[in-house]
Amino acid sequence: FASCPRSQAGEQPPAGAFAPSEMLLSSQSYTGQILQPTYSPDTLSHLSYADGLDEEPPLLEELGINFEHVWQKTLTVLNPMKPADGNIMNETDLTGPMVFCLALGATLLLAGKVHFGYVYGISAIGCLAMHALLNLMSVPGVSHGCVASVLGYCLLPMVILSSSAVIFSLQGILGSLLALFIIGWCSLSASKIFTSALAMEGQQLLIAYPCALLYGLLALLTVF
Amino acid sequence: AGPSAMSAPGAAAGGGSRSGAAEWGGFEDNMQGGGSAVIDMENMDDTSGSSFEDMGEMHQRMKEEEEEEAEGEAGAAEEEDGEFLGMKGLRGQLGRQVADQMWQVGKRQASRAFSLYANIDILRPYFDVEPVQVRARLLESMIPVKMINFPQKIAGELYGPLMLVFTLVAILLHGMKTSDTIIREGTLMGTAIGTCFGYWLGVSSFIYFLAYLCNAQITMVQMLSLLGYGLFGHCITLFVTYNIHFHSLFYIFWLVVGGLSTLRMVAVLVSRTVGHTQRLILCGTLAALHMLFLLYLHFAYHKVVEGILDTLEGPNMPPFQRVARDIPVVSNAVLNTTAKAVALTL
Repeated sequence: FASCPRSQAGEQPPAGAFAPSEMLLSSQSYTGQILQPTYSPDTLSHLSYADGLDEEPPLLEELGINFEHVWQKTLTVLNPMKPADGNIMNETDLTGPMVFCLALGATLLLAGKVHFGYVYGISAIGCLAMHALLNLMSVPGVSHGCVASVLGYCLLPMVILSSSAVIFSLQGILGSLLALFIIGWCSLSASKIFTSALAMEGQQLLIAYPCALLYGLLALLTVF
Repeated sequence: AGPSAMSAPGAAAGGGSRSGAAEWGGFEDNMQGGGSAVIDMENMDDTSGSSFEDMGEMHQRMKEEEEEEAEGEAGAAEEEDGEFLGMKGLRGQLGRQVADQMWQVGKRQASRAFSLYANIDILRPYFDVEPVQVRARLLESMIPVKMINFPQKIAGELYGPLMLVFTLVAILLHGMKTSDTIIREGTLMGTAIGTCFGYWLGVSSFIYFLAYLCNAQITMVQMLSLLGYGLFGHCITLFVTYNIHFHSLFYIFWLVVGGLSTLRMVAVLVSRTVGHTQRLILCGTLAALHMLFLLYLHFAYHKVVEGILDTLEGPNMPPFQRVARDIPVVSNAVLNTTAKAVALTL
């Protein structure tokens, strides 16, 4: 526990690119704090003892779900040409990825394919493989949560692909071209975020290729 | 008298075990912070639980511990065992210290073994590449070298081969999906991964073993790298021929592209082997396995549906299904008219 950041004990929000927007949001009297799993246990117990029943933080804050952050990260993913901020992935946020996985499964369901298990399985194994590869290729390591978070956020264009599969069949030239375009989009944004977070500028293509294979697998699930 | 009698052998044991600890090297510290593996008896509590005069105090302490542990069932069982043995078995302080030390030592050894063998950082230098290098090596893998008189350099890198194997898996899956291949004992994904990784690792190991027999100068990582880059030709061939279904085109690609990558691998191996018989064995085996693997991949995982392709609108609608689908529609219409007729007459 000695490695937990004691300086952050208290009511300060985690440092990051989105701190200003969070300050603007909290118009209530208490300074909101998104509780992250990395906080040491005595700060958590301090909060729970200090607050009475009326002053407990709202449920979303306790769960660590911040819709403003989720929206910001989604916008970053949707625009792969914009250079990404290196520290947006400091907090491990799995809310957005879970929502996107469920959305992918739901849109596949709309097309008549019940593939929830496949989506989760491929995502989990892909996250493990990417985690191993990134730890081998980068000087600072990454955690599982960071990899899962980035890969999950970049799944959003795949949801667009599978929702278009509801309207028309993707098993033609047009479908293949659209699938290739979406795969390129997903892997480009994922590799952009990884290289900016891990300071591996020259190797963006080397990171993009395994991401493209993973998203290609999910696209195969969507198309066929 | 009790503690002092125990302290002399304890001191001797402590002194003797210090040199012993240097030999073993396994036990680095105990709870006293010294370098000995043996519990130093002189530093122990008076109520060590090893004398009958402390029975009363042990009873008291056990009662307290029983109240502490709310779960309770372990405490009741151990209490009986403890009373039977003079030292209270594992509940005595001696027993507790021994158990604690064994746990610490075991945990330390397990974590050391884990960090030694499961440490993927030993693979880290093999993944240190630039995109330019990977591209250059991919192109080089199709160009056979001419100079076989001195050993050719093999890049001991694992990123390119690993990505090529995964690409081959993806191409196989794509081919299986477009041709509606049905795998009965297993899954598509498992079969594809098993085939490709099995080939890469298995044939590399086998050729490495043969190279060891034939006295060739090649390491395992180099062999993995060489064979991995040799799969580049396979990827190109399969990618083209899974989408354009001409047998003759496949044979041309098989000979030209497959042949070029095989020639490159063979040339590199020949440059590192001495002796005609050894070269023949090694290179003949590698060439045969590599070319046959490409043949196998093409014919086993891609059902070439030549006749049906012309008569279909799309790859998923064979004609007999359309006939079967019409029948329920007709019967529904018949049922509806019959129901209406029945309703009108009533």
